[in-house]
Order: sequence, then structure tokens, then C-alpha cells
Amino acid sequence: MLQLVLFNLFNGLIIGAFYVLTALGLSMILNLSNVINFAHGNFLALGGYLAYVLIPYIGFWPALVVSPLLTAVLGFVVERTMIRRIYGRDPIYSLLLTFGLAFMIQDGCRYIWGVNGLPLTTPASISQPLSQEFFFLTGYRLFVVGIVIVAVAALFAFLRYTRMGMRIRAGVLDLDTVSALGINVRLLRSLNFAFGIFLAGLAGVLAGGQIGLNPNMGDDLLLPSFVAIIVGGMGSLVGTLLGGLLIGVAAAITTIFYASASQAVIYVIMAVVLLARPRGLLGEEGLQ
Amino acid sequence: MSMLEVRNVSKHFGSLIAVREVSLTVAKGELRAIIGPNGAGKTTFFNLITGFFPPTAGEIIFDGQNVTTVSAADRVKRGMARTFQVTEVFPELSVRENVRIAAEVAAGYALRPWLGGAEVRDIASVVEETVAVTGLAGKANRLVGELAHGDQRAAEIAMALALRPRLLLLDEPTAGMGEQETFEIAGLIRKLHRDKSYTIILVEHDMRVVFHLADRISVLDQGALLADGTPEQIAANPAVQAAYLGKAA
Amino acid sequence: MSGMARAQTQAPAAERPLLILAGIWVVLIAAPFWMPLVGGYTSLASRILVIGLAAMSLNFLIGFTGVVSFGHAAYFGLGVYGAGMILRYIAPSTPLAVIAGILLGGIVGSAVGALICRRRGIYFALVTIAFQEVFYYIAYKWDSVTGGFDGLRGFQRQPIHFGLFTLDIQKNDLAFYYFVLAVFAIVVGFMGFVLRSPFGRTLLAVRENERRARFLGIPVDRHIWLAFTISSFCIGAAGALYALLNNFADPSSLYTDLSGELVIMCVLGGMRSFWGPLLGAAVFEVLQDYISSQTVNWLFFIGLIFVLVVMFFPRGLLGVFRRRSAA
Repeated sequence: MLQLVLFNLFNGLIIGAFYVLTALGLSMILNLSNVINFAHGNFLALGGYLAYVLIPYIGFWPALVVSPLLTAVLGFVVERTMIRRIYGRDPIYSLLLTFGLAFMIQDGCRYIWGVNGLPLTTPASISQPLSQEFFFLTGYRLFVVGIVIVAVAALFAFLRYTRMGMRIRAGVLDLDTVSALGINVRLLRSLNFAFGIFLAGLAGVLAGGQIGLNPNMGDDLLLPSFVAIIVGGMGSLVGTLLGGLLIGVAAAITTIFYASASQAVIYVIMAVVLLARPRGLLGEEGLQ
Repeated sequence: MSMLEVRNVSKHFGSLIAVREVSLTVAKGELRAIIGPNGAGKTTFFNLITGFFPPTAGEIIFDGQNVTTVSAADRVKRGMARTFQVTEVFPELSVRENVRIAAEVAAGYALRPWLGGAEVRDIASVVEETVAVTGLAGKANRLVGELAHGDQRAAEIAMALALRPRLLLLDEPTAGMGEQETFEIAGLIRKLHRDKSYTIILVEHDMRVVFHLADRISVLDQGALLADGTPEQIAANPAVQAAYLGKAA
Repeated sequence: MSGMARAQTQAPAAERPLLILAGIWVVLIAAPFWMPLVGGYTSLASRILVIGLAAMSLNFLIGFTGVVSFGHAAYFGLGVYGAGMILRYIAPSTPLAVIAGILLGGIVGSAVGALICRRRGIYFALVTIAFQEVFYYIAYKWDSVTGGFDGLRGFQRQPIHFGLFTLDIQKNDLAFYYFVLAVFAIVVGFMGFVLRSPFGRTLLAVRENERRARFLGIPVDRHIWLAFTISSFCIGAAGALYALLNNFADPSSLYTDLSGELVIMCVLGGMRSFWGPLLGAAVFEVLQDYISSQTVNWLFFIGLIFVLVVMFFPRGLLGVFRRRSAA
């Protein structure tokens, strides 16, 4: 029984880690650019596929950094050429634009790499189970959790202690004032978008190593990430972090008792939060 | 008989005191101007009167009733109408539709799926009269967003009039206007006051407009009421001169 | 084109909208006869009418109230399942199925609307997406009732008995088209009627300038909720017709992709125009048919259409005549 409980809790932690990584990127983009990036899950898949291409040449460890970077560069280009043109317009246009991009990237991946799943080779050194009894504690899974913790810590340190990070946080609160201070808001938004996409790319490589690659692999992460943002409170990255962990673990615990309701509990949590605390756990008062 | 009586009203934002124990009384049919240097608390004071937020202390009596805790929307229903410093209109609708929406909401038809013949005629007559008074009759079918700045202002005033207010509050109606437009809006306000007997409170920067139009002037400085009197009294008041010259220097 | 010229071409045309309106109805009534001439067929006409009704219902919210729902397929899909489950489990009655679809979509939409009507802009859209996922999930998982992933099968639209005669919409495609057109007319007429009412004008006011609307004394949240509710009832009707059209209900009818497609139809046709979304639906459906017959990578090109419309054609086909078009 203990084994089962631990197994599911750990699973929840892993799933929650993926939710967190995906939702933080989405949340960064939503907060500063006011754009819901429907293509986020597809950038995620793209990150995984780029790693698939790169690993034979440069190996896993370099690919873990390089393919998210390349994904981020692509995100930067997409922001510069398309998304920035719809800033300040009716939100309907940003929704449609990223929705269309999602279709294009998804089908592009399918065209290049095929419909069927592809494996992403991970180094043998981290692929072994660490213990017979707790077979689910593979090195790779611990590694995923570790990388996510490092990435999230780095992100929050970046936002807190670097000049650009502080500008991003200020821009979330009041973009006009930041602009009036002579800061290049356009560049800030482009870079912020690229950071968000970097996190998606990283999640893609990590997820690829765990469950393999397929063109729709991001879809299962996208909607729970939306829920994580709503539950955590819009405008708050810490809220998104808590929201992602909360729904990941809640889903896992539900699995122990009633497996087929594990998804449903996510939506129940969302509904309860919306009823009891409409602005989310840590949401800003003004943002609704 | 007074239309509006403000008694010792204060507004604090945290440790900042934006309005400090201001009292004033506006008589029926009066045109009162509120002036003061930048940051004197004029717009905050305006927002207190219209119910944008509640005062920290003090009372506001509108037409004999205490409205201190009444919401902005309910003050509109009781006969207060305002315009904004930044023009607030429905840009993609025509002038006539802008005014008509205001008239219908004021008449309590906001949830009505249809109107009877008499109701339609009543609304139409209010709309046409208001459009004519504000000098927009020739432009009634134009989209407000396509009009010149001065005409958009006039359209906004028309919407306020369509609410059939007993007190009209205008927040810097000539802000951002050129000479000609300022002259036209001042003429409109004068007409509303002299010919239509509206009670009007006006916050304004342009001193020519203020001294030309106002029956009485209240001067705010650093949130407090500095002086209150006829244009002649205010022009001769040494404290007012000091406040303005002091700021300008 | 200057604003002056535009205003002048519209102002005197009191009789013009009536003429256009008459033209639209003639085209719709005659569709089964001219469609074959351009390579179409009657059931395609029925399909466009149903999807067009869904897009017009959504546009009541996004085009005329200024609130973007990106999850309206939920209430469409509830209409589909509502009608399908009546026919499958309760009674072989087409009118009952349609009514059930309308009620299910509308009542659930109304409840969700009450929960979210205080939100604005992109945050409103985000919550609509999340709620849509809830209903998709239920349809997908509740195998024993909804048929799960495979969808709900085993029902058929039923002939309608009018006492003296029977309208056989089951076997006769032409009769079914006119049945769809009749329901379409009632729902569209209702929306047009609402938009021309004082209440409808308050919705335009909310769309144009929420702050101003609030200061006129319009309770904005309540009116957004009412618009969401009306829109959900109407799109529920479209969903019910969709169930009858296919004799089948499947989870994709309440999936995000359909919501996105409905929104692009509104924009493509012109969301400031009452009839724009119907035109958008027709163009999109035909394009989708054509592209998917030409390439297996049709999804890429559908995505491209989304991107191109947003970047180069944001006001849509009827954007030029965007005013004075409410039925």
C-alpha cells in the first residue's frame, strides 16, 4: 500500500512538474503580452523533435540546452513577425493567430517526423531504476524533477535579481509606465515571449525522454496548464507554480482511490476556486 | 435652495490626503467652476461628488438627500450626469445612437425587449432635442469616432443631457482643444446654463473660459478649499494669486 | 475611403437593408435549387446553415457584446448531445429533441456565464476554454451514456407529424433542409429582434465602451451574462440541428477545434455584421472541404488560413459594410 501511495504521489509530482514548466511559460506570455499562446504545446513538441535531431550529433546533455534555445529563437522570430502585430487589438486576434500557428506547427511536425511516436534516447546513466522495491524511482524521473526545480529557481532568480527580470515584472504591473521610463517595451515583450517558449522547449525534451515524441504530445499538457493559471490566479507566477503542483498532486492522489476521476478532479478544483475565490489563489485584485 | 451641498468632505489614499475637509454649496441654476493648480485634487473631488469612490469623511447632499454612500449608477438615476477628462463615447455608433442609448437607459428601458409607440416617440423627441441643442443635428448619423475632437466632446455632453440630469458635471470639457473648438464648447456650456437653466459644475484649466462663464468659482489648492466667490472676488483674492503665481514660478 | 463618404452611402438607405434582407432570404430559400449548379448538394446546404447558425449565435456575443468566448463549442455540443440523447433514450420526437438541445445548451451556458461574467478580455476567454474542456471531458468519459470516444449512435431524426400531414425529414433531404431553415429563421429572427431592442443597444454600448456604459447606469456584468445566456440558447439550437443532420453525436462537437473554427468564421465573414458569420461559415466549410480533398496536410493550410485572416483580413468579407446590418 505504501508503495502504491508513494508511486502515485511521485507520479503526481512528475506530472505536476510538467504542468508547472508548461504553465509558467504560458503565464509569462499571458501576463506581459496579454496573449493566450495556443501554440505553446506545439512549441513544446518542437523542442522534443529538435532534440531528437540533435542528439546523434551533439549528444543528450548539450541537446537538453540547445534544442530549447533553438525553439526559443523560433519563438522570438514568430513574435517579431506575427504576434507583435496584434498587440493592443481585440483579444480575438491573438487567440486566432496562435490557434492557427498551433495547427501549422502540429501538422508541420507530422509532415517531417511522421504520425507515429518516436523514442528520444536518454543516457543509460540516468535511465536505470534506483531500487527494486521502488521500481518507479528511475534516475530519469528524479532527473526530470531536479531539472524542473533548477529551471524554476533560475526563472524566479532571473525575475527577481536581474535588471531585465525586474523590468518584466514591472511591465506586468504597468506597461505604460515602464514604456514612459524609456525602456524598450517591444524588445522586452519579444524576449519575454522567447523565455516562455524556452520553458516549453525544455519541457518538450524532458517529456520526450519519458514518454516519447509525437506531434500531439503538448495537447495533454496545454489545458491542465490553463487550469493551473486560473487556479493559481492570473498575473501571479508563484500562483501558477502552486496551481500546477496542486492539480498535479491532486490528480495523482485521486488515482489511488478512483483512477478514472483523476482528470475530473482538476476541473472540480477549478470550479471550487472560481466559486470561492474568483481571482485565484494568488491573483491580482484588478485582473479578472 | 441648494442643488448640491458638500460638507467637510475628505479623501485619503493611504497616507496621501487628496481632498481635505472641503465644503461648498451649489445653488439651483448656478454655474460653478472649480479651479486650482495641477494636483490640487480637482478630479478627486469630482469623483467624490459623482460617487466614483466614497469619501473618507464628510457628507454629500444632493437635492436635499444624503447620497454619501449611494453608488455612482444610482446617482446617475437620481439626476447626476458627468463627462470625463478623456472623452468617453461609443465610437462605432452614430451620434444619434449614442444619445438614444443614454436616453433609453435613463428612462429605465435597459432590459426592455421592445418599446410601445408612445415610449418610442418620447425617446425620439428627447434624442432629437438633445442633438439639436448640442449643435450636432447635421451630424446625427455620423459615427462618433469619425467626428472632430470638439464634436466628440459635444456628443459626450449630449449623452449626459439625454440622462435628463438636474446637475451636470463637466470634467475639463476643453482639454486638448484648439481656439475655435474651445470657443464653440464654451458657447454650448453658456447656452445650457443661460437658456436651458442647467445647474453645472465645471472643472476647467482655461481661465478665460472659467471667468467668462462661471457664476461662482471655488479654488482648490493641495486638496483644501482656498477661496470661494464670484469671479471678481476670486480675481482680487491675494491668496489665489499667490497660489497660482507661486506654482508658476 | 473617407468616413464622410461611408456615412453618406449608408444614411439615406432606409429601404436598402430591407432589400438586402429580402435578397438573403431568397438565396437561402432557393439554395437547394442553385447549389447543384455550382457543384454543391442539399445536405451541404443544410450543413452550412447549421454551422452558420452556430457562428451567428457566437457572434451575438463576440461581435455585438464585445466579449470573446473561445469555448462556445461546449454549448453547441451540449445541444448535439441533448437532442441525440432524447432520440436515443427518451422519445422518437424531433421537436422534443430540438427543444432539449436548446435547453441543455442554454441552461448550462447560463450557469457558466453567471460564474464568469465578471471577467474581461483575454481572461474571460481563458475561462471559457477551461470550461469547454470540462464538458468535452464528460462526453468523452461517460461511456455508458454518451458513447464516449466513439460517440452516440443509434438514433435517427424522426418525421414530424402536423396532424393533417407529415413532413418526412428523415428520408427527404429537401424537406430536412427546409426544416433546418425554419428553425434557423426563428433563432436568427430572435437574435435580430433582440439586437434592435433597447436591451440590444445596451449590449452595443458595452462593446463600444464599458466605462461609459457603466456610467450611464448599465449594470455591465448582468448584461454580459444575459448576452452569454442568449448566445448559449441559440447555439444550443444549432447543436440540436447538427445532431439531426448527422444522426450522430460525437465529442469533437464540443472540442476546442470547433470553437476556434466558429470564431474564425465570425472574423472571416465580418464580426461587426449580423450576416457575416453565415458567409464566413459557407466560405470556411467549402475551403475546408476542398483543401482536405487535395492534401493530407490540410490542417497546416487551415492553420495558415487562420494566420492570414488575422494578419491581412481582420475585418472580414463584410467588414466594409459593418454597420446597419442587424437583420
